[in-house]
Amino acid sequence: MKEDLLWVEKYRPKKISDVIGNEEAKAAFVEWLKSKRRSKKAVLLYGPPGVGKTTIVNAAANEFGFKVIEMNASDTRSEKAIQAVAGPATAFVALDTFSSESKGNILFMDEVDGIAGNEDRGGVSAIVKIVEESRVPVIMAANDPDLEKLRPLKKVSTLVRFQQVRIPLIIAMLRKISHREHIEAEFEALERIAQNSGGDVRSAINDLQSLAEASKTLTLQDTVTLSARNRDISMDETLRRYFSAKSLLEASILLSRSSVDYDDLLMAVGDNLPRRYSDPEELAEAYDFVSRADMFRGRIGTENWHLLKYFYNSMSEAAAVSPESYKPFSFISPPIRIITLFWTKSKRTMLDCICGKIGQRCHVSRASAKQDFVPYVKIMLTKKITEPVVSWLGLEPDEVEFLTKMNKF
Amino acid sequence: MATDEDAVMWVEKYRPKKLDEVVDLKDIVESLKSFMRNPKTMPHLLLAGIPGTGKTTVALCIARELFGQNWKTFTLELNASDERGIDTVRDRVKDFSRYSRAAFGNVPFALIILDESDQMTGPAQTALRRIMETSSRTSRFILICNQSGKIIEPIQSRCAIFRFSKLDRNAMIEQLCCIAKKENVSLALEAAERIVDYAEGDLRHAINALQAASAYKDGFVDEKIASQVIGEATPAQVQIMIRKALYGDFVEARKLMYDLIGSYGFSGSEIVRQMQRELFKMSTLTPEEKAELSNIIGEYDYRLTQGANSDIQLSALLAQFAKVGKAKGESS
Repeated sequence: MKEDLLWVEKYRPKKISDVIGNEEAKAAFVEWLKSKRRSKKAVLLYGPPGVGKTTIVNAAANEFGFKVIEMNASDTRSEKAIQAVAGPATAFVALDTFSSESKGNILFMDEVDGIAGNEDRGGVSAIVKIVEESRVPVIMAANDPDLEKLRPLKKVSTLVRFQQVRIPLIIAMLRKISHREHIEAEFEALERIAQNSGGDVRSAINDLQSLAEASKTLTLQDTVTLSARNRDISMDETLRRYFSAKSLLEASILLSRSSVDYDDLLMAVGDNLPRRYSDPEELAEAYDFVSRADMFRGRIGTENWHLLKYFYNSMSEAAAVSPESYKPFSFISPPIRIITLFWTKSKRTMLDCICGKIGQRCHVSRASAKQDFVPYVKIMLTKKITEPVVSWLGLEPDEVEFLTKMNKF
Repeated sequence: MATDEDAVMWVEKYRPKKLDEVVDLKDIVESLKSFMRNPKTMPHLLLAGIPGTGKTTVALCIARELFGQNWKTFTLELNASDERGIDTVRDRVKDFSRYSRAAFGNVPFALIILDESDQMTGPAQTALRRIMETSSRTSRFILICNQSGKIIEPIQSRCAIFRFSKLDRNAMIEQLCCIAKKENVSLALEAAERIVDYAEGDLRHAINALQAASAYKDGFVDEKIASQVIGEATPAQVQIMIRKALYGDFVEARKLMYDLIGSYGFSGSEIVRQMQRELFKMSTLTPEEKAELSNIIGEYDYRLTQGANSDIQLSALLAQFAKVGKAKGESS
């Protein structure tokens, strides 16, 4: 197994019985899945993040021999997209159903509460339609089932509620992983991680990995850096932990968890890198990674969200160029770009308007008016304010003043 | 030379009105004139070449020769870099090509001049291609661009392509002297040479410089004044930004970058283009260093087209400069 694998993946249970906690929900789900005549064709698993909703689906499929066809929030889920993926999968019972190996497909729609109103237009009703027409089981998962837009889904589904996993179960899980990873961990440290997770198994395992993987030991002292787990890691907190990351892994775990908008993150990192790396070589290397991340962002556009992982990869690499050189510093915020554009807006508008007038008269674009005309017109006006150019171009007095006082670029 | 008496900017005042008046483009003018004799045979045209070599002038001449006095009625002039969205192409071009089918004399079409068409987005060009096909009975297009490579193949194949090369140095000097004479400006030959060399084959630039210089001391331009004007008009910010990056002040360089973006509204690709130009003027760098830095600029020019945030790419470019600058400092 690859060394840099996330432990949450490495130790994801393969069997239903290995999924910890939520015994009642597990039983209800399995019963639904096994029953020949289901009262409702779909099931909606709901509950907080990291308690095993996705895991149980995959474990059950593994155990019962279903093939999972999955759509999650990173796929576009407009009506069309859903029909394209789910339509064929649900319309036919797979050919190999009758062999002993496979029981056919199940359709799994993860994070259905993430179906966006606009981009995924018609998404919810498309799912309802699929459920009604489907010949294979449809499983959905959501954090918050109370959303108004999910109401049509709830009508056609059996609801199964997942709760936070109890702390002792998480501690036991962490001990097992520590043992397998040959980590000498103090019980109190594991207890603190588990408590801090608030019943979220995934985050607990992530914390364990980021705190102990490198050193192979874990003391209570090590866990003081754990902040009370907050679902929304703020921008400041994200930056602090991002720039102080001791390894690539730590940075990528952080970014996978932070809910800071990627475009905001890109700008903030772009602004703060010079404070983080003082050595030009390190700075250039870090910016190179961020530049690559930005290219992925460009290629993602509005639809290729499967590339998002490469974006985060490159961003993480930028944080880990030289962990040893880290010194705390204060962050630049808000973004320089936004501040600059705000303060210079009137200047820009004025110049743009002048260039538009020149362009009209002299058959050039605003851009070339700016570069090929403005510097010379400025000289003419500085020498002689009454230049006939003023009236010929139709410049207003404030535009003339602006041009004569403008710094050269 | 005919003059547009109203025009105050000399580039407009002395812009040739007839193909015959155009300097230094004999071959192009000859082929175009054969189209003028029988307008029905005129295909769509693609005029490509560096700025200030007469592409727009030639296009406007064609309009005048086809339609005479009323040329503006039958000509739609669009600047693609100002209005380059797919909607503009669809709406304005489509409407115009549809409504202006009123044939003029023996000219059975209206003329659409699309300047800086290489700035048009891919989708807009694809839309344009379709419009060129559907409206070919009622309109002709003259596309003007700096790089024909940025025009999609299907459009290129629908056009007769004319390439404009750098104007001849002597022809440009002659042109400046001619204008100076008409404007009663005494222009020293060395001054004209200085201006022409600075303009690097861009006549528009040269004429603007001459006009600014003659405003310096009424009606008198010598080499000193020419140099002074050139110095004042030369963009300085970009060179200072490059220097700051190379000599260890990355943060200051990045500030200048934001000044260019904010105060002057330059786009990422404009800044990169200027960096490329200014780089080769810097006397403190060896040819090898210039080549290395130029390669770096090229890489980031490409990344700009791929990325989402030009600030990031420009910052990364400056950081690469800082790295090269550090290595250079250590080796010397």
